[in-house]
Amino acid sequence: MEIPTKIGLEILSEVGRISNSTMEVDTILIRTIDIIKNKLNIDACALYLVEGSPATPRLILKASSGFPADSASKIDLPWGKGITGWVAQHKLPQALSEAMQDPRFIYFPEIEEERFQSMLSVPMVYQDDCLGVINVHSIQNRFFDPMEVTLLKTICEQIVGCIRNALEFEKSQLMLRQQTFLYEISQAVQAEPTLEKRLWLLLIGIILGEGKGCHRAALFMLDDHQTRLKGTIGVGPDTDQEAQALWTDWVTPEQQEEFPHPHEKKTFAGLRKSAFHRAIQDIEFPYLQGNNVLADALFLETPQIVDTADELSNVPEELKRFTGVKAFVVLPLIAHDIPFGVILIDNRFTDTPIRSTNLQLFIRLATQASWVIENLRLFTKLIESNRELLTTKEQLIQSEKLAALGELSAEVAHEIKNPLVSIGGFARRLQGKLSRLKNSAPPPDLASLSQYADIIVSEVEGLEELLKNILLLPKGNKPSLRLGHLPALIHQVLDCFEMELREASIKVHLDFEKDPGPLSFDEEQIKQVLINVVFNAIESMPQGGVLDIHTSIQESGEGTSGAMIVVKDNGGGIDQETFQNIFNPFFTTKDTGTGLGLSICRRIMENHGGKILVKNNVNQGVTVQLVLPLQIGGLSNKT
Amino acid sequence: MGSETAQKKILVVDDETNIRLLYKEELEDEGYKVLLAENAEEARQQIEKEPPDLVTLDIKMPGMDGLEFLNQVKKKYPDLPVILCSAYGSYKQDFRVWSSDAYVVKSADLRELKLMIREVLGF
Ligand SMILES: Nc1ncnc2c1ncn2[C@@H]1O[C@H](COP(=O)(O)OP(=O)(O)OP(=O)(O)O)[C@@H](O)[C@H]1O
Ligand SMILES: [Mg+2]
Repeated sequence: MEIPTKIGLEILSEVGRISNSTMEVDTILIRTIDIIKNKLNIDACALYLVEGSPATPRLILKASSGFPADSASKIDLPWGKGITGWVAQHKLPQALSEAMQDPRFIYFPEIEEERFQSMLSVPMVYQDDCLGVINVHSIQNRFFDPMEVTLLKTICEQIVGCIRNALEFEKSQLMLRQQTFLYEISQAVQAEPTLEKRLWLLLIGIILGEGKGCHRAALFMLDDHQTRLKGTIGVGPDTDQEAQALWTDWVTPEQQEEFPHPHEKKTFAGLRKSAFHRAIQDIEFPYLQGNNVLADALFLETPQIVDTADELSNVPEELKRFTGVKAFVVLPLIAHDIPFGVILIDNRFTDTPIRSTNLQLFIRLATQASWVIENLRLFTKLIESNRELLTTKEQLIQSEKLAALGELSAEVAHEIKNPLVSIGGFARRLQGKLSRLKNSAPPPDLASLSQYADIIVSEVEGLEELLKNILLLPKGNKPSLRLGHLPALIHQVLDCFEMELREASIKVHLDFEKDPGPLSFDEEQIKQVLINVVFNAIESMPQGGVLDIHTSIQESGEGTSGAMIVVKDNGGGIDQETFQNIFNPFFTTKDTGTGLGLSICRRIMENHGGKILVKNNVNQGVTVQLVLPLQIGGLSNKT
Repeated sequence: MGSETAQKKILVVDDETNIRLLYKEELEDEGYKVLLAENAEEARQQIEKEPPDLVTLDIKMPGMDGLEFLNQVKKKYPDLPVILCSAYGSYKQDFRVWSSDAYVVKSADLRELKLMIREVLGF
């Protein structure tokens, strides 16, 4: 049935006026309802728009007149359900005098549908797509004549282009805002120095996202062993009031998309104190596929959208208790195929599903979070390998020094060896001759001469021994290990210094209570180490002091790892600049020193698979720790 | 100072005067006749002039070194025992050392050398 041209033109010009005046969907819808109410004799009018993904579209009541005031936002109809759903699906108008009798009818108490007898439902079709449905209702049972049906159809046809444009505009506005938001968030995140702060910001970004985003966001990180997902950060208000305060604080309506500046520490610290954040630290879930929805998001590498937590087997009780909601979304954090963790988001205070328009933004934020983590991980790795490189370089320099020392000491040793042999040899002859003379009768007073010879002989022996060790050292000489007792060795070394200790009136304090027991080491070499270290200590205390030597057992993560000899003096320590050089071969502050003492000690300890640590207390004294491994096995692996 | 050593002549080759002197005195005390040479050339002449029963040979010497001289001696006098003496033990790895009869690291304590000499001479 044709509608009179006059009414047709009227509708056309009114719709034209709407589309010229606004791009806001809501306004367009309200004005459309006004037109309908003017043209048709009805009691209520409802305007539904199609929302959601193309796979699961839904009809949402967007604007209405004649219904109870706050009902508009509550109607959400699945595709094909109810009369409205049927109309949308089939794109066919339906005029029903007795709507409630229709088998398709679904009763909505929110809009007090029982009051209405008859209804006319018309689809809004644009280029073969149904964008929504307009329903008109009357309280009286009535018949909608073909003229009225055509009239509403005409209004629909005219307004649908206008709505579509507005929807497209809204969508692009949203995208623009999201882009801006993402940009601002990434700027803010980059300004933060630590991973933790960056993640905080990203989570705040999620809850402050477009249109107040969601209510809460919780981060679960995968542990290093990839066995557990641990609650790390929780962002979100604890109470309704807090929720209100938070969003009005952070987001004023005009600058909704402006991201809070990271310098606003006050809010940051406040968020950290939230009960939600504290509670999340205590929960964790195993990282096993099928065990829980958090793990599944990572294994399946897709966001997990949960609408009814109760009905899912992979939502553990603990998680339900913790969130207290039925609907939430789990976003996986993955970069370079490496899983890092998940972000769980929900609408705690309404327990409504996360809106699909927001979901896209959240997924992008999660992607960004993944890259933030990945970048920082790579950066840390870079720093680590750089540090490793530096230590390797240091070690290289050190070994070069030792090689140089090796060559040099071989040279020096050879020069010394021959005179030493002749000095020692003649001293022996002197010794022999003197002792024979001493025993002859009458005995001349040669006792002291004989003693001198003894001293020469023993000095030379010691020197020869030392030279031998220096010669052996640079070749990475394998120590010849034999079972020995450290306390006995320490006593031997102290006996050598009896005179020096007495002369400088140094008190010796020994403590072998923690004796590591029999140990494998090269007695000659370790003795040399002790001689060097003890002698350094003695030399540091010419005016007297206390020499403290004790043994102990070194514990490491895996248990007992080594025996330790600690040699401590109170000779005033080493000044900072000197301290950096003490291990350098030939570095000495002494007139008669060679500066080889500690270099050689280090080499010997390393050849034993052990180490030497020097702790310097400026103005107090030096503590040297000599660590020997308990296991000989560790050594044979090394050499 | 056993009589069995009385006739045995030992040639000591070493560039260090004091070492030569020490070896001479110590070995004479043992009853050996000791001949001395300062370098390889002198040693060669000595051996030609008065062949010894045994040679102690220093390795590190100016001019021809001990190992090279050992090689020459062993070619010409395969039966003449030579004991290498060196300030340090690292030459032990040098295969040329193998043709010597013994290797002794020099020390002020000559007991090891004396023992070696007795062993090589078959006492
Ligand atoms: N216990 C100590 N107290 C103070 N300074 C020390 C101590 N131990 C070492 N030093 C400092 O470290 C330097 C290097 O020590 P190192 O043992 O390597 O050589 P040295 O003692 O100088 O010479 P030598 O090896 O001939 O004894 C010393 O010259 C000294 O300045
Ligand atoms: Mg020293």
